[in-house]
Amino acid sequence: MTGLTVGYAGMTHLGLNSAVAGAERGFDIVCFDPDVRVIEDLNRGDLPVVEPDLPELFTKNRARLTFSAEASSLAACDVVYVAPDVPTDDRGGSDLSGLTSLIDSAAGQLRADAVLVILSQVPPGFTRGHVRPALTLYYQVETLIFGRAIERALHPERTIVGCADPAEPLPESYRRFLEAFGCPALPVRYESAELCKISINCCLVASISVANTLAELCEGIGAVWSEIVPALKLDRRIGPHAYLAPGLGIAGGNLERDLSTVLRLAEQIGSDSSVPRAWIHNSRYRKDWVLRTLHETVLRVTQDPLVAVLGLAYKENTHSTKNSPSFALIESLPPCRLQVFDPVVPTDSAPHPYPIGVATAQAVCEGADVLAIMTPWPEFRDLDPGEIAKSMTGRTVVDPYAILDGASCRAAGLSYHTLGVTDA
Amino acid sequence: MLDHTLAAPALSKRTVVLGARGFVGSHVVRRLQESGGEVRAIGSDSIDLLAADAADKLATIVRPEDTLVFVSAIAPCRDAAQMTKNMTMVAAVIEALGKSPVAHLVNVSSDAVYADDANPVSETSCASPSSPHGAMHLAREVLLKTGVKGCPIAVVRPSLIYGAADPHNGYGPNRFRRQAEKGETIKVFGEGEEQRDHVFIDDVSLLIELVITHRSKGVLDIATGKSTSFRQVAEMCVEIAGKGDVQGTPRQNPITHRHFDPTARLKAFPDFICTPLAEGLRRAATAP
Repeated sequence: MTGLTVGYAGMTHLGLNSAVAGAERGFDIVCFDPDVRVIEDLNRGDLPVVEPDLPELFTKNRARLTFSAEASSLAACDVVYVAPDVPTDDRGGSDLSGLTSLIDSAAGQLRADAVLVILSQVPPGFTRGHVRPALTLYYQVETLIFGRAIERALHPERTIVGCADPAEPLPESYRRFLEAFGCPALPVRYESAELCKISINCCLVASISVANTLAELCEGIGAVWSEIVPALKLDRRIGPHAYLAPGLGIAGGNLERDLSTVLRLAEQIGSDSSVPRAWIHNSRYRKDWVLRTLHETVLRVTQDPLVAVLGLAYKENTHSTKNSPSFALIESLPPCRLQVFDPVVPTDSAPHPYPIGVATAQAVCEGADVLAIMTPWPEFRDLDPGEIAKSMTGRTVVDPYAILDGASCRAAGLSYHTLGVTDA
Repeated sequence: MLDHTLAAPALSKRTVVLGARGFVGSHVVRRLQESGGEVRAIGSDSIDLLAADAADKLATIVRPEDTLVFVSAIAPCRDAAQMTKNMTMVAAVIEALGKSPVAHLVNVSSDAVYADDANPVSETSCASPSSPHGAMHLAREVLLKTGVKGCPIAVVRPSLIYGAADPHNGYGPNRFRRQAEKGETIKVFGEGEEQRDHVFIDDVSLLIELVITHRSKGVLDIATGKSTSFRQVAEMCVEIAGKGDVQGTPRQNPITHRHFDPTARLKAFPDFICTPLAEGLRRAATAP
């Protein structure tokens, strides 16, 4: 329909969601992954990731999506995005070998007039290191959010494009593709674009750290953080979309990777890194809030407790458990019985010798001495505090994300603990 | 942070306690003996770590399968002379272990190694002591870490320890308890607002035993995670004794607090439960 064919190399979270969004915008899309099994699954319609609206848009645009394990399929494309998820280790270090391999595969197949765009997140300096003769290379900042990947891919606020020379106009094919998303394109040099992505994430971490620090103060002085947040969001200097919900530290891997990159770069050039170090410290400290609360309220006074945990994923609407607060909690519990429910993540992945799986969120409460709601899945909001109270043996509910209504829980006779509120 | 090098906890074949006559050392010896462990208790009467032959003497005693608990110190360390003595003591231990290695070393240090404003204090807090006592302990930690090879080293950093047998009578639970038992007025600085984390001696000895049985390495703070003002401590002592009273005095110094983040201990020893302050004070008051 648009006359352009766009390729995506690397069919993990970023590549698949971006490809489906491109198809939804009316482009013919070629999806390449060297793993034959991945391509077979996609051809059958088996999606490897969980994202709202992804299955529906995948089905709707199926005719525009071609899947292939042959890199030569990219030869038909005007623009090719290289977009594998870049794995990170426990220290936030990136393994870029898979990305480099895909760049080499794709570059070897491109037409002379085609454009190669690196979409995966890379450290500053990476893109310029891959410039080679006769290759038109760009780096485009991705702003994927787990659980909102399709929404973000379809409706970006802006597109940040890293260029060899930002004064040069973008190639027509690439420009036409970007225009289909109806947002401003900001061409900057490669290094600025690469650092821009990190800068965005640092701003988010700063907001999260402010929320966590002040929410903990609220817990000690009788203030309520949720009463403060609306005032902050009405401040023009802060804004309505600021990340001000207190949480259990940063998780998921991407923000940690960026902080790790900032520390590495600061060490290299000798700039001050005390602020990101403080963010990291605060995140680690806050991650254990539930563990401390459980010890204080239940574990130190209950023999052989049955601990109920709702949620294993690191956040709602995702299957990812990377740096999941739920996993961190379970790993640190004393010997105890554990009852678990997550809508997506299987029970047996919980780091516990014999987790008890149940079929529903309500069933996890049955006989429990304490309930911890560790992932803010929307469906958990439907739980009735009265029913929870009837099912549980104990009275304690630890709900860091305030999924349940605190007043209703207390009215049901539960001892309710959440972030940013002094315990009742 | 503490890592356990034994998959399943087991009592050390033998534990040698250096500084066995002191407040902490004697409790550790008793605790281990009650658990059925073989203990070699060494006080300054049998090995004077300031003596020239101390390293040789210690080297003839320790065996490869031993855990050595190093708690001997001239404490509190107040000046350069005492610092020198404490360094001589640690030098003797390092020299002895060079000649005769052990399986595990537990160094009893202090929370004085941390910066005064490191709240909440955790094992990753900045070690930047403001007192000779803290500097002494930090220096000993570093010297042991770099000087002792081939065995896991655990460093425990207790907060303010209280208990019936504490020979010190410094400002805090031990003095307050004794004053209340005599029916005296407990005078607190200012209104006694400063909050500190007071840890019961039985908890200290039990945690050291757990470090031994897990053959742990790394750093562990020994603190409850709950700080209490000196006035509250004094009032508890008065209540337990049934006599005495508490009186404020003109404040001479700014109010400072110290709080601990107990997460590392919760993770290292999730079954361990700290003695609540009121209970610990009661037990201290009724101890024989």
